[in-house]
Amino acid sequence: MNENARPVFSCNGVHVRIGEKEVVKGVDLAVLPGEVHAIMGPNGSGKSTLANSLMGHPAYALTGTVELGGEDVTALPPDEKARRGMFLAFQYPVAVPGVTVASFLRAAVSAVRGADVPVREFRKELLARMEDLEMDPGFAGRYLNDGFSGGEKKRVEILQLLMLKPRFALLDETDSGLDIDALKVVAKGINAAASNDTGMLLVTHYQRLLNYVHPHVVHVFMDGRIVRSGGPELALELEERGYDWLEPAAVGGV
Amino acid sequence: MASRPAVAAPELALDHVAALSRAAGEDAALLAIRERARALLTPLTLPDRARHLWRYTSPATFLPDGDPSAAAPGDVGPAWRLDESLSAAALLGGGGLRVIEIGADARAAGVVIEDLHRAGVADLLGRVVPAGHGFLEAINTAAWRGGVLVRVPAGVTLEHPIRLRLVAGALSLPRVLVLAGEGSSFEVIEGHVGGGAAARVIGVTEVVAEANANVRYGLVQRWEAGVIGHLTARARVAAGAHAQLSLASFGGAEFKADVGAVLAGEGAAVETFGVAMGGDAQRFDHHTEHIHEAPRTTSNLDFKVALTGAARSAYTGMIRIAPGAAGSEAYQENRNLLLSGHARAESIPELEILTDDVRCSHGATVSPIDPEQLFYLASRGLAPMQAARVIVYGFLDQTLGRLPQTTRERIQALVAARLHTE
Ligand SMILES: Nc1ncnc2c1ncn2[C@@H]1O[C@H](COP(=O)(O)OP(=O)(O)OP(=O)(O)O)[C@@H](O)[C@H]1O
Ligand SMILES: [Mg+2]
Repeated sequence: MNENARPVFSCNGVHVRIGEKEVVKGVDLAVLPGEVHAIMGPNGSGKSTLANSLMGHPAYALTGTVELGGEDVTALPPDEKARRGMFLAFQYPVAVPGVTVASFLRAAVSAVRGADVPVREFRKELLARMEDLEMDPGFAGRYLNDGFSGGEKKRVEILQLLMLKPRFALLDETDSGLDIDALKVVAKGINAAASNDTGMLLVTHYQRLLNYVHPHVVHVFMDGRIVRSGGPELALELEERGYDWLEPAAVGGV
Repeated sequence: MASRPAVAAPELALDHVAALSRAAGEDAALLAIRERARALLTPLTLPDRARHLWRYTSPATFLPDGDPSAAAPGDVGPAWRLDESLSAAALLGGGGLRVIEIGADARAAGVVIEDLHRAGVADLLGRVVPAGHGFLEAINTAAWRGGVLVRVPAGVTLEHPIRLRLVAGALSLPRVLVLAGEGSSFEVIEGHVGGGAAARVIGVTEVVAEANANVRYGLVQRWEAGVIGHLTARARVAAGAHAQLSLASFGGAEFKADVGAVLAGEGAAVETFGVAMGGDAQRFDHHTEHIHEAPRTTSNLDFKVALTGAARSAYTGMIRIAPGAAGSEAYQENRNLLLSGHARAESIPELEILTDDVRCSHGATVSPIDPEQLFYLASRGLAPMQAARVIVYGFLDQTLGRLPQTTRERIQALVAARLHTE
């Protein structure tokens, strides 16, 4: 990683409202290419809201600015953000019955790369990535997320990350609900993406993932704000002490 | 009580039935069937709109403007190029059977594709759809013009499908009779095309599946935009026989379909799978019936509707399990996807379960596209229109995936083509 590199992703003064309620209350972030940031915070603190709204979910009203590779993408719809190299791995991926993983991914890869990928070439690449993730090739023909177990859904999110090769990815609890083998596989995928210069923001609850993925920066997120940022040691501290000592009030109105 | 406004009784002239029959070279038995049907129609009484089958569409919509028995032979349109592997093919158009092709294997096996007017099978006509089925079926029985008999002898398995193409003219009353001999196995696809502004079609198809037969029957309707048409397609399924009915509705301005089967013999099985895609101001009214008359019969139905623009769809699905049909199973599912705020769909399951020992379930939904699905696909780079297309294709394809290969591929291509023009 280059110390002088410019952020692949940054956001400034981001506030998000859901109806009348302000859920995200001023977030600034800057992620360099290949850099991994972890965000940890209690349930309901607004992590998914932040991730979804950064991606452009139409139900959330976001103010502030969002930049991708130095370009202001704040007002762009999600598909245009994706085509510019942004990705979101969902905490709860929805099922799209009737659409196979392979046909969906081919449409997505073609959309993001801006050109149709020949079927044979695409299949070869898909099967190779599935093998990397220790997935049964039969998954390619299954309907997207339809009847998938929690762990299978998360694997398919990482498969998409590896196929779409975004410049910046938001990963919302991609480590939740995984057994230890699956966790290692998912971590492998995240590390592979990072070594390809993808910048990443991982939302996670568990220090466990961080045994396999080494974040450059850890942020503690409470009540819609980043209340503390630090190195990997911050995650260990959270594991030991919980969040109470970091109550927003205790940090003096950050 | 408020008095209803007086409605003039509809007129239906049927003055040329005998001439039609004679000109077509029919025997006396067939003319007798026509005359009996005509008698049912004089005077013409239209069904009560309160009756469920006509709650969504006015019966008068389908009444021909002139005397249907007087229709003159018409043009058939461009020649039909057969560029696929088929066991047999027939083209019905301009009031007659125009092309018959029977492959060598099918011919050697005794497969018959014949002009129904001259086939000498009056004794078999109307056994599945009698003239009394409804007033449109009676009109067809009295005045049908252009018909095809498909007969596959007992024990014959056909590797390739039989394709029937029915080209609609200004007024068409086609009639199809499919006879599947004991233990036969084959696929027959009835494709409806043509039409044009204000063309009318009243069609009737009967499928007789003898014991242990396996018949895959596909009804594909892709008329031109203005057509007003009604198609009845019913099967009678004997003991141990299996009928798969596929239905795909794309075209026309106003289309009403009555599709179903009587499970007449022990162990009979019927699957009905269908899709309908409507746009603009199209009106669809689909009715299906699975009638279980014999013990240990099973039926399954899955019908999907996707609507854009200001299209309307009504679906009524009847499952009837007769008192003697113990140990039967019947499943029915109808899902409707609305792609526009102006599209409307209704879904009404109708169950008449007259015996205790049955397993039966039904489900119906009408809903817009899930915005979370759209967001998910958008986050993968798919533009809104493309994302909607992918979702609709998947919605329909779950059902299409259950069809036999040729019919499935054909309908998938039609769905894809339709999605790309939306
Ligand atoms: N569509 C919505 N309508 C109303 N409230 C919402 C909506 N989405 C989120 N919220 C609320 O916003 C708050 C933040 O939710 P969010 O899902 O972002 O939390 P989170 O930090 O991701 O929690 P978890 O760790 O449980 O995933 C919660 O109080 C939640 O109930
Ligand atoms: Mg969350």
